[in-house]
Amino acid sequence: MNPLIFTTILMTVLLGTMIVMMSSHWLMIWIGFEMNLLAIIPILMKKYNPRTMEASTKYFLTQATASMLLMMAIIINLMHSGQWTITKVFNPTASIIMTSALAMKLGLTPFHFWVPEVTQGISLTSGLILLTWQKLAPMSILYQISPSINLNILLTMAVLSILVGGWGGLNQTQLRKIMAYSSIAHMGWMTAVLVYNPTLTMLNMLIYIMMTLTMFMLFIHSSSTTTLSLSHTWNKTPLTTTLILITLLSMGGLPPLSGFMPKWMIIQELTKNSSIILPTLMAIMALLNLYFYMRLTYSTSLTMFPSTNNMKMKWQFETKRITLLPPLIVMSSLLLPLTPMLSILD
Amino acid sequence: MLKIIIPTIMLMPLTWLSKKNMIWINTTTYSLLISLISLSLLNQPSNNSLNFSLMFFSDPLSAPLLVLTTWLLPLMLMASQHHLSKEPLIRKKLYITMLTMLQTLLIMTFTATELISFYILFEATLVPTLIIITRWGNQTERLNAGLYFLFYTLMGSLPLLVALISIQNLTGSLNFLLIQYWNQALPDSWSNIFLWLACMMAFMVKMPLYGLHLWLPKAHVEAPIAGSMVLAAILLKLGGYGMLRITTMLNPQTSFMAYPFLMLSLWGMIMTSSICLRQTDLKSLIAYSSVSHMALVIVAVLIQTPWSYMGATALMIAHGLTSSMLFCLANSNYERTHSRTMILARGLQTLLPLMAAWWLLASLTNLALPPSINLIGELFVVMSSFSWSNITIILMGTNITITALYSLYMLITTQRGKYTHHINSIKPSFTRENALMALHMTPLLLLSLNPKIILGFTY
Repeated sequence: MNPLIFTTILMTVLLGTMIVMMSSHWLMIWIGFEMNLLAIIPILMKKYNPRTMEASTKYFLTQATASMLLMMAIIINLMHSGQWTITKVFNPTASIIMTSALAMKLGLTPFHFWVPEVTQGISLTSGLILLTWQKLAPMSILYQISPSINLNILLTMAVLSILVGGWGGLNQTQLRKIMAYSSIAHMGWMTAVLVYNPTLTMLNMLIYIMMTLTMFMLFIHSSSTTTLSLSHTWNKTPLTTTLILITLLSMGGLPPLSGFMPKWMIIQELTKNSSIILPTLMAIMALLNLYFYMRLTYSTSLTMFPSTNNMKMKWQFETKRITLLPPLIVMSSLLLPLTPMLSILD
Repeated sequence: MLKIIIPTIMLMPLTWLSKKNMIWINTTTYSLLISLISLSLLNQPSNNSLNFSLMFFSDPLSAPLLVLTTWLLPLMLMASQHHLSKEPLIRKKLYITMLTMLQTLLIMTFTATELISFYILFEATLVPTLIIITRWGNQTERLNAGLYFLFYTLMGSLPLLVALISIQNLTGSLNFLLIQYWNQALPDSWSNIFLWLACMMAFMVKMPLYGLHLWLPKAHVEAPIAGSMVLAAILLKLGGYGMLRITTMLNPQTSFMAYPFLMLSLWGMIMTSSICLRQTDLKSLIAYSSVSHMALVIVAVLIQTPWSYMGATALMIAHGLTSSMLFCLANSNYERTHSRTMILARGLQTLLPLMAAWWLLASLTNLALPPSINLIGELFVVMSSFSWSNITIILMGTNITITALYSLYMLITTQRGKYTHHINSIKPSFTRENALMALHMTPLLLLSLNPKIILGFTY
């Protein structure tokens, strides 16, 4: 793609999300979402083949439907409150419709079906943008309307997302689908605590973005999109295997890595609000996620997968230079002792 | 406590910066020196704890376990030298780094004051152990073993996290030193029953309790020698230590909640001892014997009398040293015949007489011969369980008999009798191996002269 045009399109994506996060008028928020959606379609379709076309179409259809639902909720809100400012949602129907619309945008169950298919159809870098940057805008709206969200619907969606994210990823060998199911499960954790303490949603979002960025960059570095190709990394860059191990264990939420911090804080917040069975169930279902991460680590770093001689002598034409990788790796694994610094997020 | 933790952390730069011919010498020497520092903690002036800081403390229960942990690291390093000798240098350094990381986390776990910090470090010990078992084990079953180990422990311990947080909300602080003065009875309700279960199940899985012990034979057998040693000697004791700490908060539910687990442990110790009599795999036999001894510790902790706590603590230390020594002996067999089958390496007394002496001593301490500390532990547990209920003497007596039976079975099969012709050409015992056995045996024998240091905080 022409670099100038690519820059313009990327900037439009960024601008769309910024408009969503910084507006106080509901119409501007809808405009921001639409700008974001229209601009990201060319990015998803960077490689022109039927798979990316299908993935982009699916993405466009679901997100456009979600935007329309959002518009309907905004209009109902306007009818009942007479004003366009974002404060809280004044009508329970509007609140439910808005929550469903934002869940569709995030990929929460029962609206999660597009996430694996879209993530699988696009390239690794586009998948990265899809799973991290695109989650920021809907999450910021959820944060802002959090006092008026119907608790039952949100918690049901959250718990079902954790279940689906765990069970759905069990049968996958394609790395992008694994990351998609992991994203569904993490979104479930984030929205579960939204009503109780939205700051923890933001903390979880931050740490999730760091870990997903690290994982995707490690995949991009070894240009691997399947478990099989990831298992050849011990041949080419043995250090990457250790880094993949650490980051995957962190995503699974094992102490003492930083992926444990959001889970711990969320469980603490839910327990303080006298729900005990829910965090126990959520924590146990996160073990499903850990199982398929463990399977990835087994084939990558903890065993030496057999490979043909061809693989050992593979030419590397250019080493991809990912400048941000070392700090990201450090941050996605060693942040747990910094938990007392949470107060800066308020 | 930092005087032990910081040197242990610094063992990691030591391994990465050492020269090729000095890594084993450097790490073993410095870890022995660190274990000498930890010996000073055994001087506990009163029954109250030796309070070092807000975060770390040591008391008559955790000090012997800490000394055992630090003593074990040089022994693990000595035991691993042979099977790592053919690996490239970086992988050797990685292995030693994993062991050192595990050691640091274990030291911090045993000395943590705050129970959530204890939980985080307890879980954190899983990661290096998993890497040691899965990466450096020898058979393909090790993958399954690692998964069983990780998931059994995590399933048990996630409810523990929720329970600890809800107790913190109830009482305001989880600092262990404060809780022992809080001393408030938990009201009798269904939710407190679940709280009791949530608190105890993590440690029951770790101990392991008889019904949840499936991970242990897999993990112990598939792990390399250092992994087996640290699993048997220390990681099982983490469960016992946690139970001893947390039962102070859980009265009065323990009086009726403990019954199912007591029954499982009493029956389980006989079952696992009997299985030992039918084992062909040497490491598997030692693993099941660990389950049996730990079942005694569970019985002791759940009865909650001063004598039983003394017995539990003594038994944990004694079993740690004995079990680790038995694994080292089994490994010396494995390195020569590359098989764990017992009958393939029999009649070794004719070929390796000094090693036969160590086998004899290890088997004798395993079956709790007087005056070893194994006997003191078992005797205290048997006596206190007799006072709890007279009938348990039948089960305990049967267990002691069967323990003696399988220990002697193991000894006679591997040492006595005519040797087979295919082990004619095994290498004689290395000095390193003899030193390893001596370093295991000497604390065991010396502690029988002054057992009160390992009798815990109810002495």
